[in-house]
Amino acid sequence: MSTPVLSLHGVRKSFGPIEIIRGIALDVVPGERHAVIGPNGAGKSTLFHLISGQLTPTAGEILLDGLPIGGMPPHLVNRQGLARSFQITNIFPGLSVFENLRLAVMRRFGLEFVFWRRASRLKAVTHLVDELLAQVRLEKRAGVLASELSYSEQRSLEIGMTLASDPKVILLDEPMAGMSHEETEYTVGLIREITKGRTLLIVEHDMDVVFSLSDRISVLVYGQIIATGTPAEIRGNLAVREAYLGEEAS
Amino acid sequence: MRTKVLLLVLAVAALVAAPAVLSPGLVNASIQMLIAALFASAFSLLCGQAGMLSFGHSAYFGIGAFATIHAMNAFNGVGLLPTPLLPLMGGFMGLLSGIAAGWFATKRTGVYFSMITLALAELLHALAPHLKEVFGGEAGISAMRMPAWGFTFGSNVEVYYLTLFWVLLCLVLLYLYTLTPVGRLTLGLRENTHRLRFLGYNVHRLGVLVFAVSAMFSGVAGALQALNIEAANYVVLDMQLSASVVLNSYIGGVKVFLGPAIGAALMSFFGYAVSDLTRSWLLYQGVLFVLVMMFLPDGLVGEFAKRVREGRFGLGWERLSAGVLFVVALGFAIVGFVCMVELAQRFFSTDYRSMIVGTPWPPVTLFGREWLPFSAVTWGLPLGLMAVGLGLLNFASRRLDPERGGVS
Ligand SMILES: Nc1ncnc2c1ncn2[C@@H]1O[C@H](COP(=O)(O)OP(=O)(O)OP(=O)(O)O)[C@@H](O)[C@H]1O
Ligand SMILES: [Mg+2]
Repeated sequence: MSTPVLSLHGVRKSFGPIEIIRGIALDVVPGERHAVIGPNGAGKSTLFHLISGQLTPTAGEILLDGLPIGGMPPHLVNRQGLARSFQITNIFPGLSVFENLRLAVMRRFGLEFVFWRRASRLKAVTHLVDELLAQVRLEKRAGVLASELSYSEQRSLEIGMTLASDPKVILLDEPMAGMSHEETEYTVGLIREITKGRTLLIVEHDMDVVFSLSDRISVLVYGQIIATGTPAEIRGNLAVREAYLGEEAS
Repeated sequence: MRTKVLLLVLAVAALVAAPAVLSPGLVNASIQMLIAALFASAFSLLCGQAGMLSFGHSAYFGIGAFATIHAMNAFNGVGLLPTPLLPLMGGFMGLLSGIAAGWFATKRTGVYFSMITLALAELLHALAPHLKEVFGGEAGISAMRMPAWGFTFGSNVEVYYLTLFWVLLCLVLLYLYTLTPVGRLTLGLRENTHRLRFLGYNVHRLGVLVFAVSAMFSGVAGALQALNIEAANYVVLDMQLSASVVLNSYIGGVKVFLGPAIGAALMSFFGYAVSDLTRSWLLYQGVLFVLVMMFLPDGLVGEFAKRVREGRFGLGWERLSAGVLFVVALGFAIVGFVCMVELAQRFFSTDYRSMIVGTPWPPVTLFGREWLPFSAVTWGLPLGLMAVGLGLLNFASRRLDPERGGVS
């Protein structure tokens, strides 16, 4: 196995007296699609918050390409090549779809404190935005306010924004929640395509999606990873069946 | 688009031509209006575009004013800073103080941000009387506008043109700012700071930048004020200026570019026109603000722009007549309300109390007529006018609103 691009050792997180993440070790290797599954409240989103810089671990180490990123502010984590989406849609509601993506794309060109150029004349930016619009199937909606999109369109937009910075590692927190069957299918295809040459860490409740999309799966229960392995291994794992998959069936 | 450009050109032409037809008093009022417009636009960059409501913007206006007065005295209008360039000094000090204050204030968001800006401004306001060297104590500091570049700056027409030049230049710069990458990011700051952070932006630095730019243009406005009145006094640091820039901007509409400028210009004109006639000007300003917020939450210009966009100005006799009725009804309601307020103000004034000797209580004069305190007409007439006005308003607005069964 090649050296992991993302690696966690003994990561813990407490909120007051309650420990939500209770010692996690996880290695994600470059190029793999890695799913994190687990029951509601297991700590999946909290884990993503820890990796992406929203929360600081109480203990433990998080390495991105060998660089410790635990407790690093989110914008610096992003600049190290890690982008994420959120379980609860997180976009710029009062701006157009195009503008949402443009804000996401501009950073990639280092356009932050630039006040001597017109945003509309940045050809490379506009070109990339158009490409992203096509990729997430929102070309026809470019001029619409993001708040006026349907729920699933907003989810697509968010995937587009996550992609915009051309990240090495992508974290998607339940990207397909609330989508129809057709939309889910398209989005799975999209995720498969955009994660070529990148590393994906995804939280998803739809087991069909998880088992078809991922190379490896980690099962998170009460803040601990009880198993990591290929889909086949996870399906055959007794502890997982008891703790989680069995629960699904009942 | 074309009409917009045409309107703008006309407006600028009118502003350039104005001193030729205006009385000196009105030229002076126009200078105040221009300064208020620039200040409101600078404030709204922060409040409307970045979504950060500052309650302490008088501080940066005041710092700009004092910096300019000191520069006037130090350079005497010669050397590096001749009179026409003095606003640069106000802008520069506004920028510096904005960086410092913004660094603290933008560490927090929402109410906490507002409270920090308020506290910083109050701190300065409380300190100012003790720093006589800098703020000149009770008397303030005065200076002289020196001639430069062939202008004497002795007449207020020349000051008007100097002010107009700087205000237009700053408004153009503020507008161009909105088109740049950092201008677009400023909107992102308002819409969703959290998301911006996860897209790799340093939102604190961005916030400081926007704050500083806003303070810089506020400083230019303060500088123009200092140039105009050739003096600065620490009362400009008072909360009242901070409050009125908030009110004026919202009355115009903080989310449209020229909204705050137009709102502030209108309000400062009303202030000029009305403050000699009434002591209740602040009350009217407050009532106007509440009404605008209740019925036109996007502000006067904001709502107007929205209606134009939605094409809700279709003419036709029925709409036109309903519109005329609306205006007339509004007039009734306003006259009734003003009567009411002015009568109450007079009856409750200390002057009136000192006039009471035994019974019956004497009448007061208003609009060339005598009003007795206990007559039914005195209170019935204004109340009646208001009631009729409000009733008609309700009727007319229903006729104007297609969603409530009116004509479209
Ligand atoms: N800021 C916080 N303070 C206190 N408790 C928190 C906080 N954030 C999360 N928790 C708790 O941590 C637990 C794990 O939450 P988390 O959102 O990570 O679960 P999850 O696995 O993503 O669940 P779901 O499948 O419902 O999204 C929950 O019990 C939640 O109440
Ligand atoms: Mg979750």
